[in-house]
Amino acid sequence: MLAVFLLYTSIAGGGTPVVRPSQLANHHGRVSLMGQVVGTPSGDAHAGGKRFRLRDVKGAGTVTVVYKGSVPDLFKTGNDVVVDGRLRNGVFVAVPNTLVTKCPSKYAPKR
Amino acid sequence: MADLGRAALVTSFLLLLYALVGGSLGAWKGRRRLAESAQNALLGSFAATVVATAVLLGALARHDFSFQYVADHTSRELPLGYTLTAFWGGQEGSLLLWLLVLSGYSVAAVLTSRRVDREVLAWVVPTLALVGTFFSLLLVFVASPFATQAAVADGAGLNPSLQNPYMAIHPPMLYLGYVGLTVPFAFAMGALLARRTDERWIVATRRWTLAAWAFLGIGQLLGAHWAYVEIGWGGFYAWDPVENAALMPWLAATAFLHSVMIQEKRGMLKVWNVLLVVLAFGLSLFGTFLTRSGIIQSIHSFTQSSIGPWFLGFICLITAGSLTLIFARLPLLRAKTRLESLVSREATFLYNNLLLVALALTILWGVVYPILSQAVTGQAATVSKPYYNFFLHTFGIPLLLLMGIGPLVAWRRASLRALGRTFLWPLAAAVIAGAALLAAGAGSSRIGVIAYTFSVFVLASIALEFARGTAARKALGGLGWAGAFSSLIARNRRRYGGYVVHASVVLLAIGITGASAYQTVRESRLKPGQSMTVAGDRLIFRGFQSRMESNHRAIRALVDVYRGDKYLGRYRPGKNQYFAEDQVSNEVSIRHDLLTGGDLFLIADQVNSDGSVDLKALQKPLVNLLWLAGFVFVGGALIALWPDAREERRLAERYAGAAVRA
Repeated sequence: MLAVFLLYTSIAGGGTPVVRPSQLANHHGRVSLMGQVVGTPSGDAHAGGKRFRLRDVKGAGTVTVVYKGSVPDLFKTGNDVVVDGRLRNGVFVAVPNTLVTKCPSKYAPKR
Repeated sequence: MADLGRAALVTSFLLLLYALVGGSLGAWKGRRRLAESAQNALLGSFAATVVATAVLLGALARHDFSFQYVADHTSRELPLGYTLTAFWGGQEGSLLLWLLVLSGYSVAAVLTSRRVDREVLAWVVPTLALVGTFFSLLLVFVASPFATQAAVADGAGLNPSLQNPYMAIHPPMLYLGYVGLTVPFAFAMGALLARRTDERWIVATRRWTLAAWAFLGIGQLLGAHWAYVEIGWGGFYAWDPVENAALMPWLAATAFLHSVMIQEKRGMLKVWNVLLVVLAFGLSLFGTFLTRSGIIQSIHSFTQSSIGPWFLGFICLITAGSLTLIFARLPLLRAKTRLESLVSREATFLYNNLLLVALALTILWGVVYPILSQAVTGQAATVSKPYYNFFLHTFGIPLLLLMGIGPLVAWRRASLRALGRTFLWPLAAAVIAGAALLAAGAGSSRIGVIAYTFSVFVLASIALEFARGTAARKALGGLGWAGAFSSLIARNRRRYGGYVVHASVVLLAIGITGASAYQTVRESRLKPGQSMTVAGDRLIFRGFQSRMESNHRAIRALVDVYRGDKYLGRYRPGKNQYFAEDQVSNEVSIRHDLLTGGDLFLIADQVNSDGSVDLKALQKPLVNLLWLAGFVFVGGALIALWPDAREERRLAERYAGAAVRA
């Protein structure tokens, strides 16, 4: 059992790094990008691709993301999302259908 | 009223603390009166917890917004049903539910096993009290559901995604499962502490383990169905940490349910069994910790809070304490017999155990990987679906096969000739099914053909077992086929209940395989009048329909479905736009085909301003067997759980004899 496990992990490597927009410059392979949607998203996720900016959840670094595929219900400006992909020429090109919204840590109701 | 709730929780905490300290002392010094008073304190803590629960439910029902908890999780316009289920919608309430269920289980377990070994029970009480003390401590000092504030005019409301009928049933089921695993843990520790390492603690807790395990299983299936019909991405399980949190203890408990049979029959695997029960309980605590600490990123939204370190500390305490205890009692846990052959019933149980535990541990590795990689390399990394799928295939497919082999292999040692005879029919059925599948074009997925061939093998061997047993019963005379069949089950509830559960797992495997390996997905942008096809069905988009509801606008894409020339009906996938929450929710439309067991799953992925729709259509063959499996699972678990007077008598005689000999 252990052998199977070790064999798999040694071949498949150690998982996908989870990074913030400000850390992107140091990663050239596929990563999971986590950030907060800022500004107004534009474009069509089912045609040319949806474009939106992600900012560090706590911080200042931002990056533009181009994404194609299903967009989750909770995707909107101000929410945290995670999306897989890689940086190409300063734009984060997302893997289709990998966008997930991370629920706000607390479902923050208006008080 | 909040004062009453607080007082009830403090009372419960003090009683549990007394049951822990007094009970330990009583058991250690052998003082019967003290041990009995600890038992009574445990019963009293249940009563106090019930009072606290009633206070919170009352506050919810009255919309008493001077309770912070009520104000944070409900609002005036929330229907009464959801207002009450908000009891477990937040952290404090769900901790209270934990304590309520735990003290309820404690009372039931103590009352029903008073005639079990007194010395074991004397130690069971403080062990249960230890866990209870931890939760009541959190409720009194860290996360009180009775915090008050100046009453506000209206509450914040319940997260819309929790306003679903499943909210009433899914979390309580999971809690009944998680918490129920405390009972076998407490009895195992009690037996070790009392130095009674025979299998009596196993017999005493078999039903509790079985019940907890069944609740956990049902809870997960309900969650899967909730995700399937509501969340609208077309799946039912996403290897999300919170889902895994429930799956891991279930796998460990499944392993435990099997390996205890070897200890009962052959006196083997004693150390393994206590380790498994510690693992199952530890994983259930870990699951609660995961869902409540927000330490791992999950699609589930949970309050991030200060209770994480408390939980981690408690898990470490429980693990270290029980492992030390097991180590100290190792000499008492030596097996009476050895494994005689690698081809025997016990050996197949052993393989099944190794596979189940390996699966649980690889999932655990995947869940904690982000934390570990962060700690080791400073860079968090996650493992994703391929990782989990790989191990599900590697360990799950052999498990499926073992379900067909195990029940047919003899105890102790099986001869090759006997094996050939036993497996002739199931093997023949499997080979025919495999050939038929390949001929029908199922070879597109190798793993699918393997899974289905094995499934047929298992179903055939289960059917064979039932047929043989019934024939043997009928040969005894006096009964017709139906009578022989029901008497067969009634006389061996455990065994045949187990086979029914096996059948449900096969159905589950068939459903999952159909929905994943043989799924067809098509996406297309359609203008009104345009059509697309998905696995033989033609979908024609007829345009949108929009309707205003009280709190949302419902947009529906009208889709006519044809198979060949036959009109199958109009389906309406769409979206709801909620005004107040400024939130969109996907409303899928599913066409169930009861004849083939498959689903046509329609998602209006994007509604475009030019009147077109991005339609996503999924054909999921046989997926409904997955939900059917749920019903079969409940049936099998009920058969195995049903009280059996004959078995009780047999056990009573056996242990009366053992006590005399000892």
